[in-house]
Amino acid sequence: MTRLHRRRAILLGLAAAPGVLGLAASANAQSAATRGARSPDAEKFVEAQVQRVLSLLADRGLTAGQRDAAFRRAIGEIADIPRITTFVLGKYGRTITPAQRAQFTAAFRAYAENVYQARLAEFRGVSVRATGSVARRVDDVVVSSVIQSAAGGPPTAASWRLLASGGAWKIVDVQIKGVWLAITQQQDFVSTIDNAGGDINVLITQLQRGVGPRPR
Amino acid sequence: MAPVILALGLFATIGMGSAAWTETSEEPAPVIAAAPEAPAPKDPWRRFNRRSYAFNGFLDRVLVRPVTRAYMRITPSPLRRGLGNVVSNLREPSTVVNDVLQGHPKRAVKATARLLVNSTVGVLGLFDVATHAGLEKHRSDFGQTLGRYGAGPGPYLYLPLVGPLNLRDGVGGVVDVLTDPVSLATGGLGSDFGVGRLGVTALDGRAGADSALEALANDSADPYAATRAAYVQLRDATVRESTGEIETLPDFDLPPEGAPEGSQTPPAAEDAAPGLTVADPPPPALPASPEGYL
Repeated sequence: MTRLHRRRAILLGLAAAPGVLGLAASANAQSAATRGARSPDAEKFVEAQVQRVLSLLADRGLTAGQRDAAFRRAIGEIADIPRITTFVLGKYGRTITPAQRAQFTAAFRAYAENVYQARLAEFRGVSVRATGSVARRVDDVVVSSVIQSAAGGPPTAASWRLLASGGAWKIVDVQIKGVWLAITQQQDFVSTIDNAGGDINVLITQLQRGVGPRPR
Repeated sequence: MAPVILALGLFATIGMGSAAWTETSEEPAPVIAAAPEAPAPKDPWRRFNRRSYAFNGFLDRVLVRPVTRAYMRITPSPLRRGLGNVVSNLREPSTVVNDVLQGHPKRAVKATARLLVNSTVGVLGLFDVATHAGLEKHRSDFGQTLGRYGAGPGPYLYLPLVGPLNLRDGVGGVVDVLTDPVSLATGGLGSDFGVGRLGVTALDGRAGADSALEALANDSADPYAATRAAYVQLRDATVRESTGEIETLPDFDLPPEGAPEGSQTPPAAEDAAPGLTVADPPPPALPASPEGYL
């Protein structure tokens, strides 16, 4: 197909777009129906574990130090930080040396804990309720939820991506206002390394130097 | 005038959408097709964009942020919320227009009901009583309308003073401004009302984005890339809100080293899958405008 023909075909297609879109949407819906069953246990996991973290952040009986320590422990249990660490490196996850990986893992963990704490604290959430879930595969599920904030007002919608790991669910990404955190971090980090001509050390140094939320 | 511009906008966008499509289909498959990487946004003008980004950052530091912070200090938060509600209410007619264009009569009725309730019971929009009555707010814009009918986003664009855009949503934004019913009825920027409305809208948007901007600037190794990633996802989510389409997510794990190419996500299946719906997602709480978000 020449470029001109293809363009004409596309324009024709656009003219018929509403109809075609309708068809495409229903086809998608079908494939999702076979694949996308709800996962009640993933929903339960989100409700229980996210609630636990929100309560922890809101607990005024703890000192800041105690809260940080408890938060880090909880995140270590409910999030799959090793998998996230590889994901955010994108294509550079293949070329990183073992020594760099060790450095990056430590730097990213500290960075990620700060980011998660800052983002979750912003909700000032009091309760979380799962509103649905869709399994992409049996071991890859997105749970949608609403978080009610202490300040009142309309609840915030958040989605959680869960992967099964050794028979247990772990959170690998969270979506707020349409934006996935880990996907955004991946583009941030890959762009940083690209701009440094592929030098992963530049990113490691930046993370070590303390890119991340300012201490409260 | 407006219909002509609208038609021009449609043409530009469709042409650009098809150009973008042709470009993608002719690109050779990347070597690491199966690596779990979200597709990089099209950013052919990144040199210009990065310069605009730096310029806006400078302008924000020396002018916009101080003014916004002062506004936030001077106005008690109930007043600020009220003013925000007023400008948001003035945006409802444009949402109704786009809901109709998108073929979503229920959403159009909802936005109309919100406008009527908030303009009367809500004292000219100061109080968002509609939300409490179960009529939740949503926003529709012309970029979304174009996306609803298949126009691709086109290249990413970061403009001085304006912020992140893509071609489709830039065109959409212009059309929204030119066709805004409230603006047409009140004489647009030629009137004191129009100028005041613009000022409050800008301040309200910037104040609402304060913590998000702070987070982007502080949390990212490359804030430009993080902003772009967030904007692209936000606009995709906005269009999906209208089409009801399924979100495609990258696989999370790298395939094991040496695995046959495409062992995880066969490239051929990319169009139809990997299907991922957020079942009946509550409409995401979208910020008043993309400019307001970032």
